[in-house]
Amino acid sequence: MSDPVVYRGMTLIVPETDSEWHGYFQAAREGRLVVRRCADCRRLRYPPGAGCPWCASLAWTWVPVSGRGTIHTYVIVVQAVQPGFRDWAPYPVVVVELDEQRGEPAPDDGIRLVTNLVTPEFQPESEERVAIGARVEACFQSIGPDLALPQFRLTGEPPAAPLWRLPG
Amino acid sequence: MRGPRGRHCVVGIGETEYSRASGRSTRALGVEAVRLAILDAGLAPRDVDGMLSYHSNDSAPSIAIAADLGIRLNTYADVIGGGSSTEGLVAYAMGLLEIGLCRAVVIFRAMNGYSEFRIGGTGARAATPVRGVDLADRPYGMLSAGQRFAPVFMRHMYEYGTTSAQVAHVKAAHSRHASANPKALAKTPVTVEEVLASRWIVKPLHLLDCCLETDNATALVVTSADRARDGRHPPVRVLAAAGRVNRDRPDYFYQGRFTTVAGVHARELVFPAAGIGPEDVDVTGAYDAFTFTAMLQLEAFGFCEPGAGGQYVSSGAIELGGRRPNNTSGGHLCEGYTHGMSMVIENVRQLRGTVDDYCPRADQGVHTYDYRPGRCRQVRDPRIAMNMGWASPATGSALILGSHRV
Repeated sequence: MSDPVVYRGMTLIVPETDSEWHGYFQAAREGRLVVRRCADCRRLRYPPGAGCPWCASLAWTWVPVSGRGTIHTYVIVVQAVQPGFRDWAPYPVVVVELDEQRGEPAPDDGIRLVTNLVTPEFQPESEERVAIGARVEACFQSIGPDLALPQFRLTGEPPAAPLWRLPG
Repeated sequence: MRGPRGRHCVVGIGETEYSRASGRSTRALGVEAVRLAILDAGLAPRDVDGMLSYHSNDSAPSIAIAADLGIRLNTYADVIGGGSSTEGLVAYAMGLLEIGLCRAVVIFRAMNGYSEFRIGGTGARAATPVRGVDLADRPYGMLSAGQRFAPVFMRHMYEYGTTSAQVAHVKAAHSRHASANPKALAKTPVTVEEVLASRWIVKPLHLLDCCLETDNATALVVTSADRARDGRHPPVRVLAAAGRVNRDRPDYFYQGRFTTVAGVHARELVFPAAGIGPEDVDVTGAYDAFTFTAMLQLEAFGFCEPGAGGQYVSSGAIELGGRRPNNTSGGHLCEGYTHGMSMVIENVRQLRGTVDDYCPRADQGVHTYDYRPGRCRQVRDPRIAMNMGWASPATGSALILGSHRV
């Protein structure tokens, strides 16, 4: 993973010296979604940062999470900016809120990730299936000999609240 | 809280042409705008001793601009930053004046935002390697400002029932304002229906929800109220400034209420410092990188109730002749994209009463207040103007300016 990987025309660089991201992508390569847990206040956090946003502790461990969550918001990219995404457009970019630590420590807090919503074949999910409130789960897209990208797909579980889509 | 209310003034404004093919360097653009701002202030280059700029690795440095104009600086700084920088650098300039390090400070932004480093992300920006913090979103095809900000608008629609048609009123209003601005890139008024019928860029944004990538340079001169008395124009007083104010955390996707933007914190700083409230503001400059960013800013700063931004911007309040016109130059949506500076420049002109519109005697400061398209854009006797800068949903700024009568 120390070698750069070209994915959709972008050069992704995750060297071993990237003390935030290297372990995250190493776990993804093994099919696990991990987040950081503060070794002092025990709270989870994402994206991986060097310190704890709540107690400023520098001590942390990687912990696996269920990879299950809910679409919090989304966009549909119709005009791709990166040339390598043109054959994917229109494609969804979604913000997923994980089931872990929802509403903690404040009611509007949660562990959220930016991801694509993909089909089981790792193609962009069709727009009519993207909705705020939809239940999703992590999957892992191999994009190089030693690098996998966490992605999310629909689970088909009943949503906790009515689904919402952009009208029209 | 008691700030340095009124002890500093914006005394000079300068801008180049707004175009999509400047045909010259950001250094040449910057020198022209800075020179115009110094002359507008009634100063000579040697009177300036501080220089501040902001950039995205796409501009010329202060030392080049100063060298070209024979300016010897006591200090300078070129800071990386986006659309909340103008107001922030005004605050930094006030600090330099307060401690006596500088007597007059120039602030500039120079960019070939269309012909060289496209602000929208295509070209050079899309070709940079993905590492560090960018690993959280760019691998998923999320790069441009529209792609990164629009999730907030989508969630606002979900939580409050805000609609695309409501925010399209921002473009419609600004386009009518731009029709009275000879410098504007897009002077043709457009309707709400035309916004909604324009092609999708990133849903929920249409093409006409997005601002115009532009080549330009812009500049301000800030000095003390004492020195401002000798200027060419009535001084415009800084009542309060705050820049680069963050919300709970500056990476806004990951924590807190998704629809909350940094203005909720900036407003707690600037209104008490200025000794006014939103109801006292006559004209606004809410950052319109996109139609909905202006809406989110106006809501965050308390010009309407939380969640009511869509109703506010579609009520007529933000139009010339309305309660509180916004971006009377046409703003980033229609005049051209400047990373925020042009909206401050326009508000300075408004408070001076010297807007450069199509009124027959505009050059003598005489206006008709006829707000039909293509005529007048001077607000009648404004006393207080407010700018609301935006770098992202999580980073914002505010500048409250008063006319010499305040």
